[in-house]
Amino acid sequence: MIPLLIKLRVRGKNQRRFGIWLPLFLVWLIVLPLLAIPAPFVLVAALILWPGGKGRFVLYSYAAIFSLIFNMSGLKLDIQSKDSFVYVDLR
Amino acid sequence: MSEERKKILEMLAEGKITAEEADRLLTAISGEKENSTASSSKTVLPKYLRVMVEPGPSSDHHDRVNIRVPLKLIRAGLKLTSFIPKDAQGKVNEALHEKGIDADFKDLKPENLEEILSQLDDLSINVEGKETVKIFCE
Repeated sequence: MIPLLIKLRVRGKNQRRFGIWLPLFLVWLIVLPLLAIPAPFVLVAALILWPGGKGRFVLYSYAAIFSLIFNMSGLKLDIQSKDSFVYVDLR
Repeated sequence: MSEERKKILEMLAEGKITAEEADRLLTAISGEKENSTASSSKTVLPKYLRVMVEPGPSSDHHDRVNIRVPLKLIRAGLKLTSFIPKDAQGKVNEALHEKGIDADFKDLKPENLEEILSQLDDLSINVEGKETVKIFCE
């Protein structure tokens, strides 16, 4: 499922903290159409490059972008060290 | 002997049902039992790969790592391995050989790794030393 929320907290070595709680569905409303617009051009490019053997690469790499986006939900990173920490939670 | 089987055999003994009917009823009961045991024994596939690193009691530093990666994301990422340029694959092989891993990265195929991922529900790695490392699926 596509992640709808991201919780991000970062603290660097200079002790400055940065935190953000972002509803990703607002981001996807903009990003997904922008990613979908080149689809016909990608298809045409894949057809043109298919005899040379690179069409498959073009098609699969384009599909892989969507595959990665749609499977990111549930990713959680919590890395703490003495001076800094990074916390990323995609829900 | 289950209650239902008893009742069927009693009805057969009393002549309330014929032998064929009793046989059909007993078959139906045994079929229901097999379905219920099959549904209860269905294993839940793991959804996430967890990697946890915590400092041990004798550790000098206090670094902690807690990572949860959806297995679907790993599968999606594996499909990208075929897009790695051949030059980069060669460098990866060299790095693996330097660490003593005698494996060819070019032989790594998504379907082989898919088979490994499907068996990960029993994976559990615990390493205790200066740091405690746990790798498991949930």
